[in-house]
Amino acid sequence: MIIYMNIFRSIFLVMIVLLWFTVNAFSQWLDITDVKIKKEMTEMAGPEIVIEYDLESQDISEKSPAYVFIRFSQDGGTHWNLLPLQYLRGNGFDMVSSAGHKKIYWWGVAELGFDIDSMEIKIRGLQMVRIPGGEFIMKSFPGGGKDPSVEAKPNTMLPEYFISKNETTITMYADYLNEMGRRGFGWNRRMKDSLKCGIVREGLDPDYSYSVKPQKGNHPVNYVSWYDAVSFLGWCGLTLPTEVMWEKAFVGGIYLDGDDSKKEKNPFPERKFPWGNEAPDGDDLYRCNFDGEGDGFVKTAPVGSFEKYNSPYGVSDLAGNVAEWTLDWYTTSFHAGIDGFRMVRGGSRIDLPVGVDAVSGATQFPIKESNIIGFRGVKK
Amino acid sequence: MCIYYQLTIRNMKTIKRREFLETLGAASAYTVLSSNIVHAAPSDKINLGVMGLGGRGVYMMERFVKRPDVEVVYLCDVDQRRFSVAREAVSEYQDKEPKLTQDFRVMLDDPNVDAIYIATPDHWHALGTIMACQAGKDVYVEKPLCVTPWEGKKMVEAAKKYNRVIQVGSQSRSSQYVDDAAEYVRSGKLGDIHIARVYHLMNLNNNHTAKEEPVPDGLDYEMWCGPAPKLPYRPGTWWRDMWDFNTGSIGGDIYHQLDIARYILDKSDPKSVYSSGGVQYFKDGREIPDTLLAEYEYDKLTLHVEAALWTPNYIKTPFSIRDSDQYPNWEFNSTKVELLGTEGFLRIGRHGGGWQVFDAQGEMVISEYGRQTNEEHIGNFIDCIKTRKKTNSNVEDARQSALLVQMANISSRVGNQKLLYDAKTNNFTNSKEANKYVRRKDRKPWIIPETV
Repeated sequence: MIIYMNIFRSIFLVMIVLLWFTVNAFSQWLDITDVKIKKEMTEMAGPEIVIEYDLESQDISEKSPAYVFIRFSQDGGTHWNLLPLQYLRGNGFDMVSSAGHKKIYWWGVAELGFDIDSMEIKIRGLQMVRIPGGEFIMKSFPGGGKDPSVEAKPNTMLPEYFISKNETTITMYADYLNEMGRRGFGWNRRMKDSLKCGIVREGLDPDYSYSVKPQKGNHPVNYVSWYDAVSFLGWCGLTLPTEVMWEKAFVGGIYLDGDDSKKEKNPFPERKFPWGNEAPDGDDLYRCNFDGEGDGFVKTAPVGSFEKYNSPYGVSDLAGNVAEWTLDWYTTSFHAGIDGFRMVRGGSRIDLPVGVDAVSGATQFPIKESNIIGFRGVKK
Repeated sequence: MCIYYQLTIRNMKTIKRREFLETLGAASAYTVLSSNIVHAAPSDKINLGVMGLGGRGVYMMERFVKRPDVEVVYLCDVDQRRFSVAREAVSEYQDKEPKLTQDFRVMLDDPNVDAIYIATPDHWHALGTIMACQAGKDVYVEKPLCVTPWEGKKMVEAAKKYNRVIQVGSQSRSSQYVDDAAEYVRSGKLGDIHIARVYHLMNLNNNHTAKEEPVPDGLDYEMWCGPAPKLPYRPGTWWRDMWDFNTGSIGGDIYHQLDIARYILDKSDPKSVYSSGGVQYFKDGREIPDTLLAEYEYDKLTLHVEAALWTPNYIKTPFSIRDSDQYPNWEFNSTKVELLGTEGFLRIGRHGGGWQVFDAQGEMVISEYGRQTNEEHIGNFIDCIKTRKKTNSNVEDARQSALLVQMANISSRVGNQKLLYDAKTNNFTNSKEANKYVRRKDRKPWIIPETV
């Protein structure tokens, strides 16, 4: 993982200020190196900013692109904002489908009133998986079948979207906290036990800082409420998946290459598990982190530990490890005054095999901060 | 395939118990059971088994396990998918992992278990409680106590015979504000009360009417059905408003308000019931009315029920009000109780809604905020396990409140007839047809015996 920060001092100045490699080199931010930033005058539209970098990850492709987003600060790093994609042109932002040298043009900087000379930026990338548009077979009811307002199953003809290959890691969340949580935002009382949650908070309001416990960085973050998950993903420019999106990523469409081409038929469109229909421990092979120690993990496993048993699109850990928040929610008038319930899918490290299948889900209060619930993001 | 989880499977004793259940009535079977009763000496730590891990079950289990004097030793649900959420909740408060089982009889067979918390659907409340009593366990069972009047009688008999402590989940019975209102009424300051009004006005949606599906892996559907008919499996909560499974979306919830009213008025079984209404709004295949007006006759008192599931103007007391110094919007409050006395008017809200009294001139003369009391109700249960005293919501009181729900339902089932009730025989004196519904025909082997 690399985070790049640059301070503009003058026109045409190229400065590489900081390259920061974390201790956890594979903590799921992608390797972004050799970042160069310069400001150039244009003939009609004022100055533009040109950002160049190298995306090192070798397994980036059309099917599994990088999602690259940029955040900037104009006050010395106290407050940060997501750079809207509408301002950008080039081949190195949003979904980036190949590794190598990238170039981004940021137009209209002066028009928008940005103080270019005091600006700092950070570029981050995470690996996504493309879910081609098309029909799939959904076997669960959104809301666990408990939302009385949902009369029928939803539309299962989905347009293309992208889902994070891995569950959000502790390192990623700590990075978010260090940028946003100086006053405690994003941190909750159940994260206090760093042995359990993997994050150490130090300092005092308004200067909290966060570090990751050794060997924990690549594990999925937990103890995050639905609100925490939504905030983190908003920080990245992503959202939570709906249950429909989550389930399609799990079982695959009727055609794995999408309904536009229909060349690759899904051999198990109603599969029970991401890898097929074999039990998670069938033939004494352990295919995900579920209940017990046979899979090698008492607690959470580092994300991607069972990569051989990914979903048909290549998404990791949809079964087990941590259950995952989704966007779907339900409520009933029995629960007046409650902010609905939210669905978590995929089961966790303490679920029995039937609980990590394609259709099982649990309803939770959105404020629940659980040691068995994490999340991943999607981008339409 | 190796065993990777601690799912406890019942041993050969299962067969004995099943034989017993199928042939029940056999005195010899009782002898066996009675000899198995092991009273865990009340100690500082109560070992609890939890039966039913749905939303209410896990919510209350967390409140049990937070207590330093409770250890959750079993988690039981017919659906294996429900274990993880409950296990996670337990893990935050105790180091020792509870055992997991899909068969509640495993808990009953374990002499280390002191008490059982039952949060299953209604159709399992009676048999679960009776079997727990037979096994020497104390029981906290969720409301409503049971589905039929006959079940209620048998639960009372079992608790008495086996000297068990039973707490029923009408937590308002552990609320100071409800006690205060009862004391006020009993002091006579409200005069003679001839009319009581109990409301349950909700705005619900259709029940799911999903198609039949194969029973999912990991669900013991035979056990889920238990004494109720084993219908083809359908996901969802369609069973909530079916006679064989439940007292209905109205009956299961209005139980709380009826229990508050009955407690404050200090009334036992009514002389008669008359219902009107029916399934008038929803078209989802339900059997139990979505609209119910009922009147119960006591000596010089009429208790009037007004209940519906389709009223958009009414809401339950919001959570933001329940545990604060605020009163609900009484006019459109879904769950209020009103008492009309010759000296004044009293209104009281469920969910910690508080109570107020107005004198004959319309002036408010007393007013008290309320609080929800799930924790206090659990505390009362734990205390009573240790002291062997009667709980705040004991099984006989709960039987009487459940009877109100059941009587109104039975009146509906026989075409909204007025039914005269004889408390001594637990029967209706003017309708043979109504008496058919006093006892449900249970499904073998899950049959409650005549003699518990």
